[in-house]
Amino acid sequence: MKNKEWKSYSILISPTVIFVIFLQFYPLAYSFYISFQEWALTSSQIPQGFNYLKNYNDILNDSVFHRAVKNSLIITITSVFFQIVLGVILAYLTIGSTWTIRFIRTILILPMVIAPVAAGTLWRMLFNSRSGLINHLLIKVGIVGPEWLSDQTWAVISVIILDIWQATPFVLLVVVAGISSIPKDFQESASIDGASRFQTFLRIDLPILVPLLLIVFLFRFMDSLLNMDSVYSLTFGGPGYGTYTLTFYIYTLGLRNFNFGDASAASWIFMFFSIIFISLIFYLQKKYEN
Amino acid sequence: MSIKRRSFIKKAGVYGSGLMAANAASMMFTKRASAAKEITTTFMKSGTYDLAAESIENSFEKETGIDLEIITSPWAVLNQNHIADLTTGTGEFDVMSGEFWIASVFNHMLPLDGYVNNSGYGSTIINRLWEPGPSNFFNGKRIGVPHSADAYSIIYRKDIFEKYNIDPNWTTWKEYLYTANQLKNVLKGQDIAPISFAWGAPDQAAAIFLGAYDGMMVNSKGEYELEKDKAIAALNLMMDTANYGPSNAKALSIDESNAVFLDGKAATLICWPSFVRSSADKNSESNVVGKWELGNWPGPGFPMVSAWNLFISKYSSDPDSAWKWIEYHGDSERSKQFMEDFGIGSPHRTTYEDKALLRKHGHDYPGMLSNLSKAKSLPWIFEAYEVFFRNVGELMSGNQSSSETVDIVHEAWSSIKVPAALIETAESQGLKG
Repeated sequence: MKNKEWKSYSILISPTVIFVIFLQFYPLAYSFYISFQEWALTSSQIPQGFNYLKNYNDILNDSVFHRAVKNSLIITITSVFFQIVLGVILAYLTIGSTWTIRFIRTILILPMVIAPVAAGTLWRMLFNSRSGLINHLLIKVGIVGPEWLSDQTWAVISVIILDIWQATPFVLLVVVAGISSIPKDFQESASIDGASRFQTFLRIDLPILVPLLLIVFLFRFMDSLLNMDSVYSLTFGGPGYGTYTLTFYIYTLGLRNFNFGDASAASWIFMFFSIIFISLIFYLQKKYEN
Repeated sequence: MSIKRRSFIKKAGVYGSGLMAANAASMMFTKRASAAKEITTTFMKSGTYDLAAESIENSFEKETGIDLEIITSPWAVLNQNHIADLTTGTGEFDVMSGEFWIASVFNHMLPLDGYVNNSGYGSTIINRLWEPGPSNFFNGKRIGVPHSADAYSIIYRKDIFEKYNIDPNWTTWKEYLYTANQLKNVLKGQDIAPISFAWGAPDQAAAIFLGAYDGMMVNSKGEYELEKDKAIAALNLMMDTANYGPSNAKALSIDESNAVFLDGKAATLICWPSFVRSSADKNSESNVVGKWELGNWPGPGFPMVSAWNLFISKYSSDPDSAWKWIEYHGDSERSKQFMEDFGIGSPHRTTYEDKALLRKHGHDYPGMLSNLSKAKSLPWIFEAYEVFFRNVGELMSGNQSSSETVDIVHEAWSSIKVPAALIETAESQGLKG
């Protein structure tokens, strides 16, 4: 591009660029500033002064924060693992373009389009141990269903089930697209050489899909970690602190207790670990591709 | 088609002037229209308070000429909206429906003593509800007037009690649990639980605790504190009640718990009567019509009160119109009608003394008046309450003992500042050490 043309284009797109930068980075910068301030909105309408690392120290030493991190990691790691495994299985089962296959794939995708709050409310009714459908069906096969929402362990499992149900369609869609892009020649050659379908999947398809699966893993991990709506409507973080996740913790600090200093500090701690995790995934992806 | 420059400039000038004239005219009319009085009021979205307010919106506007906008939100969102609006000085809401949960922002409310004294508002309100606590005060000045009142109560199946000759006149929680045990024995094999309660609704846990606890809630230094031994005893008693619930007792939400009773599957229900009474008396919504009665709230503690107050924001541009809405909405006859139509507890003594209503609601109103007369409001802000109910949840899940629960709660409370308004509330209700 000529210098003169580049100058004109820069002038034309600069308002948008400035606006986007302002919209993206100003809130981040302001929240970083607030994380070092003493500020509870109910005490003062403006920040009450720099308090060094007190907010960070309070959060990192808070047993409720530790519990929230533990709950978040258990729920996220478990549900994302199953989402990917199930997503890949379902993708292979729904490969094709026949009318039936496309119809089944559409049905499987439906949970993804339901609002998380609606999904949480729906599953709350399903998990009702006395009148819910799940325990009713379990009784029919001779199994006494658990107290899904009043027992802490089963409440965590309930949240995981809900997350898997709602997010697996996303994995399914992405993996279907990935499988479709694998050159048919490789699979044909493997078949001619006597490889079984599973061996073809293991030795041909999976290595090609790994970079894509890493990205899917990244998206799903962050999404699951940030999920609050369905936890709010399904268990409200309970019983006790049983399903109290990191985002619930930050929400409570900021929007129930109105303690902006602590909430900002907690958000930035979350951001710090997220950055490390994302960098790790990109590093693994690059290493794998090389 | 070619356009000559001169012609274009002429046409642009005409159109431009026309647009400017139209804009100026619309601004003038808008200014005239906005001179009409307008106020915004809030209520909890609950199927009761919100519907009641909406039912009188048109008549209020016709009678006063004041344009009214009603904004309704679920409880937690309502409180968040109020706190955000007041602390930022936005002033979107003129009249706010709230109570002690927003005590941290009471300093943003307008004192109402002048309006109350001039209008005589409050002369028919139940004495206890007109006092600090159920009525909201700040720095000794009244800032809220109750527009509805509910107190945690126990409603029971009088047909079951009569059938098995069980006495429903408990006065303490120990007596109530004794009764529950009797019910458990006689109801064996009938799929009717002695007690239904929303143990699964985390923010309701305090109701039973407060009924069984008769100690301080704020110490002499103005800090949150419970008397440990009494608190442990109350927590243990609260745990015991869950043994008399239905099979999924610890998962029940408020609606689910109420439904258990309305379906005829519980002999007693610990509840907010406002959410139940209307359905309980309708054949289409209940299997217990004509079979229930509102009983005594056992001691030695107190029934938690839900005395929704109406406040006027300090940032309201028209507090006089705001007060007109408060007077209109809080009228004693209107409150009576709200109780009839929507089940909303009336704060007016006259409702419970009305002979015609007593004939119809003799199973409900006397008990309600008795409970309201001894109800108290909590001196807890959200943060303190959350710590309490989350740790009660941990206790109910078997993760910690009652003693550990009290210790953990005290430790968390030590960093929470008690708003001045709530120290006053605690002191006026005998909850301060």
